Amino acid sequence: MTFLLNFFRRILDRMLQLFYFGQHNISNTLNIYVKTNNGNTLSINLDPQWDIKNVKEVVAPKLGLHPEEVKIIFAGKELGDTITIAECDLGQCSILHAVKSKHRRSLAGAVVEEVIEEFGSKPLCETLKDLSTEDSSNNVIEQPKAHFFVYCSICKGLKTGKLRVKCQFCKSGAFTVHADPQSWVDVLESKRITGQCENDPDLCANILDNAEPTFAEFYFKCAEHTSLGEEDKAVPLDLIRPNVHSIPCLACGDISTPILVFPCAEAHVTCLECFVTYCSTRLRDRQFLEHPDFGYTLSCPARCENSLITETHHFRLMPEAQYSQYQQFATEEFVLSTGGVLCPQPGCGMGIIPEPDCIKIRCTGGCGYVFCRLCLQGYHIGDCAPFDPESNTDRIDTEFNVDPALVSQARWDEASKVAIRVLTKPCPKCKTPTERDGGCMHMVCTRGGCGFNWCWVCQTPWTTDCMGSHWFG
Amino acid sequence: MAATKRLQKELVDIRNSGLKSFRDIHVDETNILTWQGLIVPDNPPYNKGAFKIEINFPAEYPFKPPKINFKTKIYHPNIDEKGQVCLPIISAENWKPATRTDQVIQALVALVNEPEPEHPLRADLAEEYLKDKKKFTKNAEEFTKKHSEKRPAE
Repeated sequence: MTFLLNFFRRILDRMLQLFYFGQHNISNTLNIYVKTNNGNTLSINLDPQWDIKNVKEVVAPKLGLHPEEVKIIFAGKELGDTITIAECDLGQCSILHAVKSKHRRSLAGAVVEEVIEEFGSKPLCETLKDLSTEDSSNNVIEQPKAHFFVYCSICKGLKTGKLRVKCQFCKSGAFTVHADPQSWVDVLESKRITGQCENDPDLCANILDNAEPTFAEFYFKCAEHTSLGEEDKAVPLDLIRPNVHSIPCLACGDISTPILVFPCAEAHVTCLECFVTYCSTRLRDRQFLEHPDFGYTLSCPARCENSLITETHHFRLMPEAQYSQYQQFATEEFVLSTGGVLCPQPGCGMGIIPEPDCIKIRCTGGCGYVFCRLCLQGYHIGDCAPFDPESNTDRIDTEFNVDPALVSQARWDEASKVAIRVLTKPCPKCKTPTERDGGCMHMVCTRGGCGFNWCWVCQTPWTTDCMGSHWFG
Repeated sequence: MAATKRLQKELVDIRNSGLKSFRDIHVDETNILTWQGLIVPDNPPYNKGAFKIEINFPAEYPFKPPKINFKTKIYHPNIDEKGQVCLPIISAENWKPATRTDQVIQALVALVNEPEPEHPLRADLAEEYLKDKKKFTKNAEEFTKKHSEKRPAE
């Protein structure tokens, strides 16, 4: 009797199971790629309700293995049998790695490790905490799950991101980490977190001659578009965080999320809207700084020391037009910082990197203007003349009988060229044409990184003599 | 817009603070970037009157500092004939976006009460202030009585 009853129950279970799977296959399935360590890639449809054991049952036959022999690796973790697909933060077209389990090693020291591996662990998205800026793990973080923001070049904007892991040596995603990263330093700098390359552990370990452990390489993906494969990466914007502590913006006072946390000791906070205003304002005044390692960047608006933004992709938050202006200024400042010059013709500005001792410079590739490197005026023989707006007006050769005054007025954009010549004087240090729109004669160059103190009257460094004789003109 | 949001908040706060030395704040509803108000100093010789000022906030506020202009003539070494005033807290090189307008006004009131002849905008008045304080006080008092606004009742 019991045998018969069990028989019927089994059939009923089987039917129910079939029905259950069938329903979910129709409603919402995930198309996932499974990469194996012999170079094959399988495409399979998974039900989010499945657990890893189900996945192994589907994948193993295709690899010619038993389900128990297969390890499933995703984002730096070997996934345990009881984890469901829904818990793994998998998007459409994500890549799982399936590798053959090694035979049980008989070395006594390896036993403990093997026991842990047998259980597998939870996926990284479940165990990872929000990363702290400092290189310390004792920060108390209330938020249970990690949040990352990235600049995605495909979606063209700020998006949420996902952290992924690969072997630093062979770049395979079949890699398990020994520990979760605890800080941004662990993620952004190399050789911080060790792990086990499962792609071909012997290869990676042997080539490295076992002299150093195999390290994890972290990277980010955009969470908002369907994965385009392993090379589809996004730049992490490490200063953008969810506002878990409800900190008001230092500029507008509103509490919003996400926010931007400046890398200063006080960790000053602005909302993203005010960050964009701040960048645009400083950009218009050309007050970004060219840093040899970080590029063209800004510091905290509260003028904190050592607060330069090191990841310049944060400036991608600016609107497109301003970002292209940012790129132009960045290029110009880079040319200047490497000893180059910018063509002084209004409207040209071509970057030129001449030989160190070359004084006569021709704007090749630009407007063709020939100028003196020292005074940035038209090329001349002998010493540079002191600045005099009158002498700068170009000579006009009139081969036809026309009124020179009319000719000089009838030139495209001439008004602004004249304005620049007449109303400005060059900063004695960086030669930036500078307009004085009121106040005293003490000029401070506003170009980011220059800041030279000079006298509008003498066009030399500002001295106490200037202060005494003509401070206010 | 950051400037509008922040200024609305600051205006409410400053009106609720009951500041005695800065009153009669007028802001055109269509333009929150321009404020007018009355500076009421406590120290002689300026305590004989009150002084109208205008605060102009740039569109980029609070990433750029406001500008302050005196609309009432004042005999003061740090304020010139055009009403321009040199206040370090709102100079481009010292400005911080977290600085609030009430702090700026308090710095301004302090400067009116205690002139700083070391950093003058009017060298002639600074010289008089340093060399003949009595004469300066007398002139400033007469000037205040003649040109300044009526002090509001307590």
